[in-house]
Amino acid sequence: MSHDHDHPDFLGHHWENPKQQFEAGKLGMWLFLTTEVLLFGGLFVAYTVWRSNYPELFKYGSQFLDTNWGATNTAVLLISSMTMAMAVTYAARGKMKAVVICLVLTLFGAAGFMAIKYVEYSHKFHEGFYPGLAFYDEPHASELWLPLDETATAAKAHAHQMDMDESAMLHAEALVRAELPEAPADAQNWNKSISGPGPAGLTTNLEQEELAEFTTFLPEFVTGDIEDAGEELAFAEHHEPGEEPHLSHPLQDPTRPTNAQKFFTIYFMMTGLHGIHVVIGGIVILWLLWRTLRGDFNREYYTPIDLGGLYWHVVDLIWIFLFPMFYLI
Amino acid sequence: MMSLLTMIGAAAPSKEATFWMPESASTVAPMVDGLMDFINIVCYIFFALVVAALFYFAIKYRQREGDYTFDSDGPTHNMALEITWTGIPTIIVIVMFWLGMQTYMDLRTAPANSYDVNVTAQKWSWTFQHPEFAVTEANELTVPANRPVRLIMASQDVLHSLYVPAFRVKQDVVPGRYTSLWFEATEPGTYQLYCAEYCGKDHSLMLATVHVLPWDEYQTKMGKLAREYEDIPDSQLPAYAINRLYNRCASCHSLDGSSGTGPSFKGLWDRTVNGTTEFTNGQSVGDLSGPGGEYELAENYIRSSIVQPQRHVVQGFTGAMPSFQGQLKERQIDALVLMMKHLDQVVDADGNIIESPNLGGDDAAEPEQEGASE
Amino acid sequence: MSTVDASKTSGPAPVTDNYLTHTRGVWSWLFTLDHKRIGLMYLVSVLGSFFLGGIMALLVRTQLLTPEGLIMDQDQYNQVFTLHGAIMVFLVIIPSIPAALGNFVLPIMLGAKDVAFPRLNLFSYWLWIVGALCFVLALFTGGLDTGWTFYTPYSIDTGSAMGGVIPALTGVFILGFASIFTGMNFVVTIHRLRPPGMTWFRMPLFLWSIYATAIIQVLATPVLGITLALLAVERAFGIGIFNPALGGDPVLYQHFFWFYSHPAVYIMILPGMGIISDLIAVHSHRHIFGYSFIAWSSVAIAVFSFLVWGHHMFTSGQSELVTVVFSFITFSVAIPSAVKVFNWLATMYKGTISWNTPMLYGMGFIFIFTIGGLTGLHLGTLGTDVHLHDTYFVVAHFHYVMMGSALIAFIGGIHHWWPKMTGRMYSELWGRIAFTLVFIGFNLTFFSQFMLGSQGMPRRYASYPEDAGFQLYHILSTCGSYVLALGFFITAGYLIQSLIGGRRAPANPWGGRSLEWQCTSPPPHDNFAEAPTVGDCYDFSVLRWDENEQGYVWREDVSHPANEAHT
Repeated sequence: MSHDHDHPDFLGHHWENPKQQFEAGKLGMWLFLTTEVLLFGGLFVAYTVWRSNYPELFKYGSQFLDTNWGATNTAVLLISSMTMAMAVTYAARGKMKAVVICLVLTLFGAAGFMAIKYVEYSHKFHEGFYPGLAFYDEPHASELWLPLDETATAAKAHAHQMDMDESAMLHAEALVRAELPEAPADAQNWNKSISGPGPAGLTTNLEQEELAEFTTFLPEFVTGDIEDAGEELAFAEHHEPGEEPHLSHPLQDPTRPTNAQKFFTIYFMMTGLHGIHVVIGGIVILWLLWRTLRGDFNREYYTPIDLGGLYWHVVDLIWIFLFPMFYLI
Repeated sequence: MMSLLTMIGAAAPSKEATFWMPESASTVAPMVDGLMDFINIVCYIFFALVVAALFYFAIKYRQREGDYTFDSDGPTHNMALEITWTGIPTIIVIVMFWLGMQTYMDLRTAPANSYDVNVTAQKWSWTFQHPEFAVTEANELTVPANRPVRLIMASQDVLHSLYVPAFRVKQDVVPGRYTSLWFEATEPGTYQLYCAEYCGKDHSLMLATVHVLPWDEYQTKMGKLAREYEDIPDSQLPAYAINRLYNRCASCHSLDGSSGTGPSFKGLWDRTVNGTTEFTNGQSVGDLSGPGGEYELAENYIRSSIVQPQRHVVQGFTGAMPSFQGQLKERQIDALVLMMKHLDQVVDADGNIIESPNLGGDDAAEPEQEGASE
Repeated sequence: MSTVDASKTSGPAPVTDNYLTHTRGVWSWLFTLDHKRIGLMYLVSVLGSFFLGGIMALLVRTQLLTPEGLIMDQDQYNQVFTLHGAIMVFLVIIPSIPAALGNFVLPIMLGAKDVAFPRLNLFSYWLWIVGALCFVLALFTGGLDTGWTFYTPYSIDTGSAMGGVIPALTGVFILGFASIFTGMNFVVTIHRLRPPGMTWFRMPLFLWSIYATAIIQVLATPVLGITLALLAVERAFGIGIFNPALGGDPVLYQHFFWFYSHPAVYIMILPGMGIISDLIAVHSHRHIFGYSFIAWSSVAIAVFSFLVWGHHMFTSGQSELVTVVFSFITFSVAIPSAVKVFNWLATMYKGTISWNTPMLYGMGFIFIFTIGGLTGLHLGTLGTDVHLHDTYFVVAHFHYVMMGSALIAFIGGIHHWWPKMTGRMYSELWGRIAFTLVFIGFNLTFFSQFMLGSQGMPRRYASYPEDAGFQLYHILSTCGSYVLALGFFITAGYLIQSLIGGRRAPANPWGGRSLEWQCTSPPPHDNFAEAPTVGDCYDFSVLRWDENEQGYVWREDVSHPANEAHT
């Protein structure tokens, strides 16, 4: 392996000239990107099959996705794609300081995207939208529906006036029960169905009374959970009259179609696999940044930046498909 | 083209097994065999040509001692030859496809007047229900001869595939949907039925026997099967259960005390009465058998494990058992409960079924065993 | 042209600096970027896996000597046949020719110094090792009894299928990426590293078949990856795509699976066809007949391979219309395969055919592949497939194609390139004896299985009814498998012996014209000091036998290949 002026350091020993190496790298990257698209292709087919077989799941599930966050993320990725393209252009012109700035901006894009993903995912988990059969696991106390039902509150207030007359209490309870939706019968693996109308908490000013209400309405395994969870209970008390009620837990939602977990499964699988690719892309950009700062690249040789850019654009492109598929249609 | 098939195969219908094919006993079998013969002949011809050329060239043009002069003048391509040996196989395979498709259509299209049998496949047994006679058979399928029979099949667990070589029919049985196949048996007799799709541990034991009977004999047998458990005196029910029902349990529940996919029947009644059987949820039969308990009557535990097997799964087992709700008549469940109670009277110490048990009933001879031994 | 010249002048004396001696020590092997060393490591690993898979096969065959099963219970048998299938498919046949022989031969044949991405090549080998370790892990996490196809819903039923499913799926996923990276490397190498004069239609046919294979590897394997990921997630979390209890569709899994695994069948057989094209031409010392038809038929097979997956599912419950369409397209694959066989025979016509071991394997391939291909007609024809599907007829058919053809071509290729890879000649006598045993053993083992299958014996049975008349065929088959095993043991014996006591190999022992025969045996580290120039790689008339060399050299009266580069 001789390193004369015809064979610069960056050129592998088996290449004739930089152009050949560059073209090979580019072809290799395109092939790799083809396999990436095909990898996602399997999930796209799964999405298509499910969507055509169970359109109601997608109608139901997509309403819980926050289009604003999705659109923000789309914008973040598009801008980062632009800064990546700028990095490649500056590299071709040999302006390495500009390349560094552009790569840093792209890195911010990747980090921002993942941060928003974190917010979205944790919100979904908080509301009880898990992929797979975890969807049907016992809800955590903090995820339960704590409706602020004014009828019920009024009835209770009335009952209070009546000095906790037992029949009035029962009346209040009946009113509340009438307001609550039926527990769905079709939840698979949901053997321990929440008895009666489903878990409910009532917002009052009196903690004791609220606890009593819980014990009235909830089966023991849930109240036990709540009594142990002081903070979650405090969460319940945040609801003031007139405030928007907390979203219902999906398991209590009467409009929830059978097998609703499928929507969230394919949502988490596709966006999750995409998220993994964003993380990998971020690592690649970090590596490119390090090599740029080390001075490995110049206008003659910036193949890794070019190829990294290609990869980042495809990651972006896949999101461009995912966003409308889940959030918009 | 079908006449070609008829010429080759169906013209000389062969009931006996041939070199290639097993005995044939259905209306479609001669068609399939004819098609097979046609393909075989094509294959013999091509194989003979290729191998003859291979050996002829290999010997004729072998390198002789000291022969190192290589001819560079021989032909290296010949368009006419290439087109010939591309074209002729193309035509042959198109004919083959066409014949195959026609036979397939006949195989798949059940005649309108078919006699329906419902089939349930589960690990690792077959259940056949004859709606016309309200008869259920396990691992035995009795069908009339010379009448198209359509099987409507469902699986309770994993993929299975119903395969009767003598009829040349096969169809996967898929959980979550119905599949069907049809055949018209031509020869009364007994034929082997296999599960052809791998389904786990005892896949190779998931066999059944097909009995083809002339229509009148068939009706007689169905009538007898439909009434058999009603006519049996209670004292004979354990014998009935062990001979006629146990074969649906046998793949998982042994009689000799060894554990299979499910617990052995040996001593099961004692374990139930003593309340020692423990469940995967930590409870035991004893916990549930007190006054007012779910299993206060031990019989209820046996019954529950048949119709709701997942309700309480015995410790150490996976709960693989499907429900037999609706598949067994009340009296058949009674028979199974009685069988558990009196297992030692119908099964010997080694776990073998006693041929003529002394059950203390008046009629020691058991007409129902006749059907079982067929 | 120093390398090429060396092959002309130097006798079969020890080559001082070659790729084997270039650097020393274990690390210089484990972290080598040299495609030849990586190819050799693949070869050793694949042959090791082949040994394991072969032991499993012998266990299966021994079990079936008696109707009730001789040596194992049902669970053990199911585990053994599953491992036999999974090891042979994923660890042996798929990497055998492309990753082991292809890695070694492809760059040299092409006239390149290395594959395009040497680091990726090494990475792919290590991925392969990790994938293989996952299979070992599967054994220790409860075993694997799903069959190599992982059919749902059995494989997602944690209650019945054994616990090793997820490690095994992980293993196959990783092996898939090893295969993808190998394929990518080959595609780019062939596109970008052809030296001057090496036009597409001057490439040896082995390269055409490897190219077609690499395309399939790149395009089909990611789909397998995501399918197995879906299956693993289904088993672990219950997502309801393949599980009918959750509204999933088990037949959808079969579509997903065979969309990869049918092209994978051609990943296995196409490189074998490529090897045979070269073996037949070189050992017949005769220009290949119908070069472009063979080349294009490889591409045609690669394209058709993506369109025929449904023929694995004729009785699965897919719609009749789909079944008929798949049957029709399936027959189209028969044509290019037939074209290849006819062209090989025409190549032998008026040749000068050496009856040496590689050529015996070549002729054995034609014999076996003809049977394997023709019996495909029975299975592509709908009327007969219903009877034959999932019986031993299918088992026999795919062993004739995958083992008798792909693996025989692999063994033939090993014999063909053994002198080049190791620099040693093996015993010709023992080679012919072993071939005879392998050939007889193979046909005895698997031809009797055609009879078993058409008589109705279903596959994956640990025991069988006594009165069905199967036992005789099973005994024949088992005896055949012992003969086959003996043949392979002898092969291993004389090949290993040749490393120690074998005669030194000349640069060109067979009279090959492609570029690998122009460098020394074993080749130097860099293959070619500078890019070689290329002639017609099937024109053998320029070679003559040299008694001193015990190999072939250029005739003095023809112009040097360097001179005919652009003629």
